[in-house]
Amino acid sequence: MAESSVSITHLDSMPKASVRAADGTAASSTLGLAFGSAEQRGDTLVVRVRPDEWYLLGDGAAAMAGGLDLSGFASTVNVTHSRHAVRVTGEHAADTLAKLCTADFGDAMTPNGAAWGNSIAGVTCDIVRDDIVSDDRTGTRSYLLLFDGSFAAYFLGALEDAASEFSLHT
Amino acid sequence: MLLVPCPNCGPRNAGDLSYNGESHARPDPKTCTPEEWRTYLYLRDNPSGWLVENWYCSSGCRKHFKIERHTLTGELRSAILPGSKPGLTKGETK
Repeated sequence: MAESSVSITHLDSMPKASVRAADGTAASSTLGLAFGSAEQRGDTLVVRVRPDEWYLLGDGAAAMAGGLDLSGFASTVNVTHSRHAVRVTGEHAADTLAKLCTADFGDAMTPNGAAWGNSIAGVTCDIVRDDIVSDDRTGTRSYLLLFDGSFAAYFLGALEDAASEFSLHT
Repeated sequence: MLLVPCPNCGPRNAGDLSYNGESHARPDPKTCTPEEWRTYLYLRDNPSGWLVENWYCSSGCRKHFKIERHTLTGELRSAILPGSKPGLTKGETK
């Protein structure tokens, strides 16, 4: 069987924590990262998706969030069950998302490791391009999408519809 | 398509942002007259030329910012975050 050009993988149970921390706080210094980037640290993907907001994704998310110094304007929330996560992977992953989103998915604007917020099919999403920084899908285009779980049914339908012109595998 | 340069995210499609209207300095409700408060709430300049506007990067960084837009040509310039120096105020141009 030929390799699917787009695959959509649900990551419902992936632990997720959101950290809000103002500039100059201990939590901000600990997490670091440039705004708009992601980095794999052990079994946790650390994503700075907004100037004052990080996502901790993966099995170590809770431990990392629990270990932060939350003094000052800083807080952490477990969003495992409120934020839905989907991974779109494959040769036509960017083409699929480009049908639903205004972002430039080219390497110049959104290289591997980029993280940003955007509207996809009208749903506000946080997008992480992590071709090689997590799992074993080395070298393959891969986008991790995080969005509010209440939009899941509509959003996944729109995503699958957009991917249907390619060889979709779910 | 209008490309709005968010100070954090860079150029973004206007559809990814929310337009919050002309930027007006809010008068102190304790000291201003009813006329000044009514003007603040309801009256807009709507000029043909440069205008300082409020936008909200709702899909991206979720920050409010000000930007100058030429209402005739659609040209945009001088996007700044609140609190940045120098601040833009109503009627002020770069």
